[in-house]
Amino acid sequence: MNRRDAGKERLGSKLLALFWTIFTISATANSGYAILAVMQDEFVKKRAWFSENQMADNIAIVQSTPGAMAVNASMVVGYQVAGLLGSLVAVLGCILPPIVVMIVVTCFYEAIVGNELVRLFMRGMQLGVVGMLLNVVVSLFVNVTKDGLAYPVVLMALAFTYVHFLGWPIPYLAIGCAMAGIAKTLLVSKGVRRR
Amino acid sequence: MTLLIGIVLAFMRVSVIAFGGAYAAIPLVENEAVAVQGWMTYEQFADLVALDEITPGPIIINSATFVGMRVAGIPGAIAATLGSILIPCTLVMLLYRLYSRFKGSAMMDNVMVSLKCMAIALIASTLVRLAAAAFMPDGNLPSITRGCYTIVVMGTAFFLIHNRQISPLPVMLGCGLVNLVACSLLPLMA
Repeated sequence: MNRRDAGKERLGSKLLALFWTIFTISATANSGYAILAVMQDEFVKKRAWFSENQMADNIAIVQSTPGAMAVNASMVVGYQVAGLLGSLVAVLGCILPPIVVMIVVTCFYEAIVGNELVRLFMRGMQLGVVGMLLNVVVSLFVNVTKDGLAYPVVLMALAFTYVHFLGWPIPYLAIGCAMAGIAKTLLVSKGVRRR
Repeated sequence: MTLLIGIVLAFMRVSVIAFGGAYAAIPLVENEAVAVQGWMTYEQFADLVALDEITPGPIIINSATFVGMRVAGIPGAIAATLGSILIPCTLVMLLYRLYSRFKGSAMMDNVMVSLKCMAIALIASTLVRLAAAAFMPDGNLPSITRGCYTIVVMGTAFFLIHNRQISPLPVMLGCGLVNLVACSLLPLMA
């Protein structure tokens, strides 16, 4: 009985931490991507709910799916923390602030859009988001290059050119990257067998 | 009720094709709300772009809520948000289950490394656009003071998070505050 209570309590406090972390970033940051930085910091570094590598895998899965990145990330991370209930709580934390804020803002559109102080504050936070995202990119880069530099760097350069300069559709890129991974496995295992 | 179902379906359609974050999503929502459904004019939709700059949250959810709210009030806002998350949430879960099933195999490891490379490219692309938008808010090169100030704030934010292990949220709020104070006190910056 006691142990069950303790388990329940742990789950409760986990769900609360999950909800609160996602809620606060969703209620403040202007870019959905900011959520990745906060998840890395709170769930990986501080609480050690999963490893840096698991978080990097999560980011890859989320980026291969359409829709709001922050919501998808909440879905996967919530699931890892506490199953489907965790997903539900995390997604709720993610969508509640924008819904409420947009409803309020639409009602007081003129007063808020014209407000210089709000604009300056939000613009300043955007500068912070640039710093946050740079940190996410750096930590992901360290993660993918830990087993060799050549393959990831070439693939990243190709993918960046594809997305940023060519602006081509991402689903094909995701499929292409997955196939590159499969091809690499087949080629490497063939090489090992030959030796 | 028919209108609410229409909203849900419209945003389901948008969400399935919205790959690659905010910059990809806005034109899709615009096309659906203005051209396909005729729910609002381009001018009304332009309000949304102004709002997105100053409101928190994922941009797809923001724009869905905005359009839903304009079309059918609070129920519309909720319908639009649900419509835009249902399919992506299901897809991401399916993908995650598939990944869990084969996790640890050499094949899956290589696929994940490749997809992580793609994720880096996507985030870096967003990063470049965000940095450019922050550096040149009106599309022109800023004054020297203004430009240096922007770079210093961005650099300090990165330094605090990366080297000093300070949590991203307070750093971001701090940047907002610094910008508010700096730009109100020193008109040169604004």
